[in-house]
Amino acid sequence: MTRAWTLALEYYLLLPLGGVIALIWANTAGDGYFRVAQALAFAVNDIGLAFGLAYVAQEVIEATLPGGAFHPWRRAILPVIAGAGGTIGAVAVYITYIHTADELVLRQGWPIACGADIFLCLALGRIVFRRGVAISFLMLVAIVGDVVGLAAISRHRLAATVHPGAGGLIIAAIAISIALRQSRVIRSTWPYLSLAGPLAWLGCYWAGVHPALSLLPIVPFFSRSARSLDEFAPSRGAHGAAGHFESTFAYPVQGVAFFFGLVNAGVLLHGFDTGTWAVLAASLAGRPLGILAAVLLAVTSGVAPPRDIGWRDLIVIAFAASPGVAFSLFLASAVFPDGPLLVETRVGAIATIAGAPLALAAARLLRVGRFVDRRATQPVQTPLMDGRA
Amino acid sequence: MRLLRLIVAALAVTALARSGFHAQELSTLPNRPDSLKFAAIGDNGTGDQPEYDVANQMERWHRRFPFDMVIMLGDNLYGSQRAADFVQKFERPYMPLLAAGVKFYASLGNHDKTSNDTYQPFNMGGERYYTYTRGNVRFLVLDSNYLDPRQLAWLESALRDAREAWKIAYFHHPIYSDGGRHGSEIELRVKLEPLFVKFGVNVVYSGHDHIYERLKPQKGIYYFVSGAAGELRKGALKRSINTAAGFDQDRSFMLNEIAGDDLFFQAISRTGETVDAGVIHRESQP
Repeated sequence: MTRAWTLALEYYLLLPLGGVIALIWANTAGDGYFRVAQALAFAVNDIGLAFGLAYVAQEVIEATLPGGAFHPWRRAILPVIAGAGGTIGAVAVYITYIHTADELVLRQGWPIACGADIFLCLALGRIVFRRGVAISFLMLVAIVGDVVGLAAISRHRLAATVHPGAGGLIIAAIAISIALRQSRVIRSTWPYLSLAGPLAWLGCYWAGVHPALSLLPIVPFFSRSARSLDEFAPSRGAHGAAGHFESTFAYPVQGVAFFFGLVNAGVLLHGFDTGTWAVLAASLAGRPLGILAAVLLAVTSGVAPPRDIGWRDLIVIAFAASPGVAFSLFLASAVFPDGPLLVETRVGAIATIAGAPLALAAARLLRVGRFVDRRATQPVQTPLMDGRA
Repeated sequence: MRLLRLIVAALAVTALARSGFHAQELSTLPNRPDSLKFAAIGDNGTGDQPEYDVANQMERWHRRFPFDMVIMLGDNLYGSQRAADFVQKFERPYMPLLAAGVKFYASLGNHDKTSNDTYQPFNMGGERYYTYTRGNVRFLVLDSNYLDPRQLAWLESALRDAREAWKIAYFHHPIYSDGGRHGSEIELRVKLEPLFVKFGVNVVYSGHDHIYERLKPQKGIYYFVSGAAGELRKGALKRSINTAAGFDQDRSFMLNEIAGDDLFFQAISRTGETVDAGVIHRESQP
């Protein structure tokens, strides 16, 4: 039981658990489910998720510290390019699809195509590669898409008016965080969250920026230690210190993940329509193709490829980065109000889980990671660029 | 005696058939001079022959039943939506009605461009959701693509202010439907139904499912799905305990007449057959 619980926490399985409950509930007692989901939506998506995204941001910042997965910054260039290519590919396919299907009302849903489920990516990365630079590469590819999606929804927010004092509140939150950081006395995360957090949240809310993004401006001032992204989030070693955000919020964030799945993943399975296929095509075709094309372009233009990643790895990474599930669900709920467009894009977001078996099948077919044929006498890997891998 | 009645009835039907009289084309509408008469079409804007056939049928009925407005339940134009498309998919098929002064009041469907709200013949006044009054009837036109909090607040306010005896809402996505392709939009229902019930909406019209369906009253409100004035999904009606009547074998449109506390309705196929008809009696508010 303890082992199952540890596994559930390590792989963020409470998120899919909440999602499965929501799916069953919505399709058996829809009226009741949607009443509950709509009542909880604000607390989960606009407040709880702020902690979830802060959690992710903390990981990324720590990965850029000396000793982290992306230090020095040059190591991050190719994955960032790959992530950008994947995002462009996904958005291009999404837009093309809805134009072809003649449903332009879905046009403003393009940020949904950017979403990559970093928790599912991590699980896939661990299953295929176990550990190492390929997982960090995969994680950054996914994070780039999510950053673009988050930036986009801050424009798409359905807020009525922008309060004049909003910017001032966000600046005040940052100023408080700087002061706390410089005091060097406070090691705990709580003063940041209790003093600067509400100001930042209110500032974002009044500015029409999605409040789930509100803690991002103050995360860079939290206590931190370098980390490799292949062991995303567990609060071990220095990360387990009491003052570390990931230590304090390790369990609450799991709760947020569960409720996020519960509130957002409940869709009527007959609700598929053009938006479903657009999101699915964008994630499963647009993103992998965009990633591969961008890397090909970058490597042939002289960007140094990582030593331990070949084309076969990259193909698997491209597919492993394709599921948008949780992040696409969140982006969909930020872009569309409750209604048919939200339903059909949410169905598409959930269906992108198909990228997971595709990635595993690709890994098996191409003999990548744990599927490497140990009996082979010749290396089966093709370097990204001859003579440089 | 019973046998005699049967023989007389059979002779009467034979005589009527020989005279060219089509029982199905009989109007069930009272056609009173002082009543509000309107047609309803949904999912019409294909620009293909079936849309023209339905439009021609509407024009034929208009000669006998002079409705002065048409409510459009969305997907008013499919495919490309350039100036020429407005001619081919709207102005040409409905030209006789437009020429006769019939006004169209559109709602937006998932295939419509949002900017179509500025197309003058749709009478939307540049708004994706709006309200208007005809006699003792308040019409509320919603944009079910984006039912955002602002629109909901507007709807609540409009319903609260409405003093008319009849309140009729129409929009594209049905919150009750037994159409096999789409069905009920439950997320919309959770938002809209409490307002409809609270403020006494009487009748709701929608499209999206390419069929005709009349549902049994839900919490005292009558729902129609009429989404087959251009598109058709033959055999898509999956009747349930909520289905009162339906037709999914050909294109269709609706005629309606409000006289006092009664709303008479008649659903008519592309060939002019009456596929459903009846009357809704409004319970007067105390």
